[in-house]
Amino acid sequence: MKKIIIIVFAVLLAIPAVQAQKTYDQFEVQVDGLGCPFCAYGLEKKFKEFKGIKKVKIDIETGDFSFAYPSEKALTIQAVEEQVKKAGYTPMSGRVTRHDGTVEEMVGAKEAIAADAELITESAFVAGNCEMCQARIVKASTDVFGVATAVWNKDTKLLEVSYDKKTTNLDAIEKAVAKAGHDTKNHQAKNGTYKSLPGCCAYERVEY
Amino acid sequence: MKYIYSLLALLMFISCAEKEEVAKSWQLSKTIPITGINAIGMAITSEGFWLSDGDHNRLVLIDNEGKTIKTIDSLERPMHIDGAEEILYVPQYGNDEVSVFTNGEKKTLFLLDSLDAPAGVSSYKQEKAIADFYNNRILYSNDGKKFISFGKEGKATGDFYYPTDVQITENHIWVADAYNNRIQVFDKQGTFLKVIGVDQKMNAATGIFVTSTEVFVTDFENDRVLVFNHDGVLQQELSKGVEKPIEVIQHQGQLFVSNYRKSELLVFDWKGTPEGETHQEDTQDHDHDH
Repeated sequence: MKKIIIIVFAVLLAIPAVQAQKTYDQFEVQVDGLGCPFCAYGLEKKFKEFKGIKKVKIDIETGDFSFAYPSEKALTIQAVEEQVKKAGYTPMSGRVTRHDGTVEEMVGAKEAIAADAELITESAFVAGNCEMCQARIVKASTDVFGVATAVWNKDTKLLEVSYDKKTTNLDAIEKAVAKAGHDTKNHQAKNGTYKSLPGCCAYERVEY
Repeated sequence: MKYIYSLLALLMFISCAEKEEVAKSWQLSKTIPITGINAIGMAITSEGFWLSDGDHNRLVLIDNEGKTIKTIDSLERPMHIDGAEEILYVPQYGNDEVSVFTNGEKKTLFLLDSLDAPAGVSSYKQEKAIADFYNNRILYSNDGKKFISFGKEGKATGDFYYPTDVQITENHIWVADAYNNRIQVFDKQGTFLKVIGVDQKMNAATGIFVTSTEVFVTDFENDRVLVFNHDGVLQQELSKGVEKPIEVIQHQGQLFVSNYRKSELLVFDWKGTPEGETHQEDTQDHDHDH
C-alpha cells in the first residue's frame, strides 16, 4: 500500500513538470504585398484558427508575420510556406527557430543567372488588381529559372520580364504566372486557384 | 437716367452672384497629419472625433489638428466604426465581436449568430447593421436586438463579395460591396433595390457614407473618392491628395477622407469650383449630417 501511495504521489508531482516542459517553435515569415488591410488581417485570422498556435502577429507595414507552434508537432517551414501561399499570400522569406535554438530557413535562394546569359526583355498581359497581385505575379515570374527581373504594372496589367533566352521563354513564364492564379493572354489560371485568392485579388477573368 | 444705370448694375451683380453660387463642388481644403495612425474607420461621438487604427489594434480620439487625446487599446483589428451621441460601435475583425463603448465602458453586442470578421457597423436610432466580411452577408436589426441576415457570396445583384462597410438611412441599407466593386442598396427587409457605381470601374469599394442627397464611396485601389447622387449618377470624382482611401464621412458640412497608408486625413469643403475644373451637377443640402 505504501508503495502505491508513493507511486501516485510521484505521478501527480510529475504531471505539472511535464506540462511546464511544453515547448514552442518560433516561425517568422516575410510576406509581400499586404496592401489591403481586410485581406492582410485575414491571413492573421486564418492562422489563428490552427489548433495550438500562439502569438500570431502580423505587422502590416513591414509584412513581418510571426507565430509560435508546439514543438511536438514538428511543423516544417515548407508547410508554412505552402499554407501562406494557399491563403493567397506571397511568402518572400522565412525561418523557424526550434526550441533547442536550431534555425531552419525557407529554401528560396535562386540560382544566379549564368555569366554568358543572353538577356532579352519582353512584355505580356497578366490580369490582376492590387499590390498583393503584384507581389504574387512578380514572385511567380522570378521563381522561373533564367528570369533576371520582373515588373508588373497594376494599371497597364503588363508584366515586363528580363530573362535568359537560352534558359527559358515568355510562354514558360506566363504558365508559371497562371499556375499562381493569374490569367495571361495565353494561359488561364485554374478556377480553384483563382477562387483561393484573397478578395482584393478577384480580378476580372480573361475570356479566351 | 443715373438711377436706371445703377439699377442695371445692381441686377448684373445679383445675376453674377447667383451664377457663382451654382458653381460649387467639393474642394480639398487641408490635410491633417495623424502620425502613427493608420485609420480604417472614423466616427463622431459626443467626445469628439474617433479613429479606428486597425494596424495597431486601438481606437484613437483626436483633436482638430490630428493630435491624440486618448486611446483605447487591446482591441483586435477594429474596422469601420460608427458613433451615436456618447456611444461608439466597434466591429473587431480579429475576434468576431462588435463592441459597444459607452463613456469608456465596454460591452459586447449580443448576437445569436456568429460573425466571421465583422468589417463595418452602422447605427441609426435603435437600428443596427453589420457587414459580415467572410460570411458575405449583412446583419440588420430594427431594434438592435433581433437581427435578420441577407446576402450570400456571389456576383449577382443582392449577392456580396466581401462587404466592408454598411450604413443605415431612414428607408434604406447601403452596402459597400467591396470586391464586387459596387454599392448595393436594400430595403429594411433585406430586399435588393438598386446597384450604384458599376459603370465606374472601381477597384475595391471599401468605405461608404450616405447623406440625404449624396453617396460617397472610397475607391481604394484607384486612389479616389466618388460622389454619387441617390440615383447613382456620378456627381464628382475626388482624386487630389487621395491615396489608398479607406473611409469617408461628412461632419459639420466638411468631408473627411482617410488615406490609410499615409497616416493623414483630408478635409474637403463645399465651395466654389476653381476655373478650369468641372463637376457634373450641383446637389443640395451638403451640410446635412447623417
